[in-house]
Amino acid sequence: MSIKDTKTWIQEWLDERSGLSSITKFLREKKIPQHKHSIWYYTGSAILLFFTIQVITGFVLVFYYSPTLEEANQSVGRIMTEVPFGWIIRSVHSWSASFMIAFVFVHLLSIWITKSYRRPREATWMSGVILLVFTLAFGFTGYLLPWDDLSLAATKVGTDIPRSIPVVGIWGTRFLRGGEDITGDTLTRFFGFHVSILPVLLFILLAVHIYLVQKHGMSLPLTARRKNERFVELPFWPNFVYREMVVWLILVGVLFSVAVFLPPSLEKAADLMAPAPEGIKPEWYFLFLFQTLKVFPAKILFITGDTIAILLILLAVIFLFFLPLIDNRPAERKGKIITFIAYVFIMYAVVMTVWSLI
Amino acid sequence: MKLKHSLFTRRQFLNGLFGGWLTALLASFLYPIIKFIFPPTREPDQVILPFPDFKDMGPNSVRVFSWGAKPGLLKKNEDGTLRAFVGVCTHLDCNVTYLPGQRKFFCACHDGWYDENGRNIGGPPPKPLRQLIIVIEGEDLIIKREGVE
Repeated sequence: MSIKDTKTWIQEWLDERSGLSSITKFLREKKIPQHKHSIWYYTGSAILLFFTIQVITGFVLVFYYSPTLEEANQSVGRIMTEVPFGWIIRSVHSWSASFMIAFVFVHLLSIWITKSYRRPREATWMSGVILLVFTLAFGFTGYLLPWDDLSLAATKVGTDIPRSIPVVGIWGTRFLRGGEDITGDTLTRFFGFHVSILPVLLFILLAVHIYLVQKHGMSLPLTARRKNERFVELPFWPNFVYREMVVWLILVGVLFSVAVFLPPSLEKAADLMAPAPEGIKPEWYFLFLFQTLKVFPAKILFITGDTIAILLILLAVIFLFFLPLIDNRPAERKGKIITFIAYVFIMYAVVMTVWSLI
Repeated sequence: MKLKHSLFTRRQFLNGLFGGWLTALLASFLYPIIKFIFPPTREPDQVILPFPDFKDMGPNSVRVFSWGAKPGLLKKNEDGTLRAFVGVCTHLDCNVTYLPGQRKFFCACHDGWYDENGRNIGGPPPKPLRQLIIVIEGEDLIIKREGVE
């Protein structure tokens, strides 16, 4: 048998047993419409790229990290100073997290503003909002793991937030902390969330999300749908994938450059009894929430300010999740108010973030 | 099949029985898991500190002790009396610090301020710092939760 025959034989053998050819056939026939908004189609695969980098760097960081009170900070120090290439692996993991979250926000906003969540893509949007929550949870739990002053203070605040929700909130705080207070148990628990519970949940939901995207095909922007505009369609394989690869290459280049020149710091090990360090700040993607909590007064009428702030934030998340059911008009209708809300949200986040930095 | 005067069929009855049994079985699995997730709370009723260690404190100063997993703050007032606080902010649980120069407690997380008696006077904290009761018995400085005998 020649090599070519062997290859065909292997393919046929596999296909008979797995039915893989239906997937490859689907991908060969998949088309990507080209229009002035096609650039947003690249954000999804950019998120996948950074997520893949997170998985790979995360796998190897676990080889040296130990999630205990005594050793967590030290083991990160060891990764940074002793383990060959440890500093760059941690730096890439930390930066790639930021890049991933940035692209998640861009992805979400682009779909919001182009109204691509409308029928029949409501479930795709909703699974996406849950993925956003999981992604932020990854960022939040990962931030504690180096166990330094900053990460401890951020976690104290973050895990105390559920407590402000009347009645049920206290159980949320206890669940996150493993008790009333932050202890070594909290660190171990966060490690568990970060490396086992969240990954499993995220993978399941990601599979659902990607399946739904494939099932419905790429959404067309409003203008294209309204005018019955004629546009070019690119084959997904290989044309569009090659274009995506160019984007990935650029992103990886930028990621590695910042990772090399701006590695994350490691402060001295957290002390549960020490006062919170001055000028504490969470990661950049939580800054607008941080500032919101800071500016709410102690009491509004007879309710504590943070309870109101947190209920408002919760309401915003619920609004985001149910957006496709709130704006359930046919796909070709404009949605000026919905677009306006998106811009208000962006403005709010930007203003609060800048305010928190000055 | 349904008997005369019966409210539901035999199938409905058996389905209910089976469903109830499954629910009970599931609950018996979930109960230990939920109990396992929430460990018992660990706030101490009291801590006993060696009093001589704190005798050299100057007026208007604060020393930290362990109140369970939280910091406790022992403060010596200008008139030589002692006060004890749980050293966490009532806003969102950050550890506070005492600034002797300004005679204020300060939380760096969201700019919370308390006066020297622990009253919340600025920023987001909704309540005063929690106070603890101090009892001195010989060489023992006993710090108790309110309501503990």
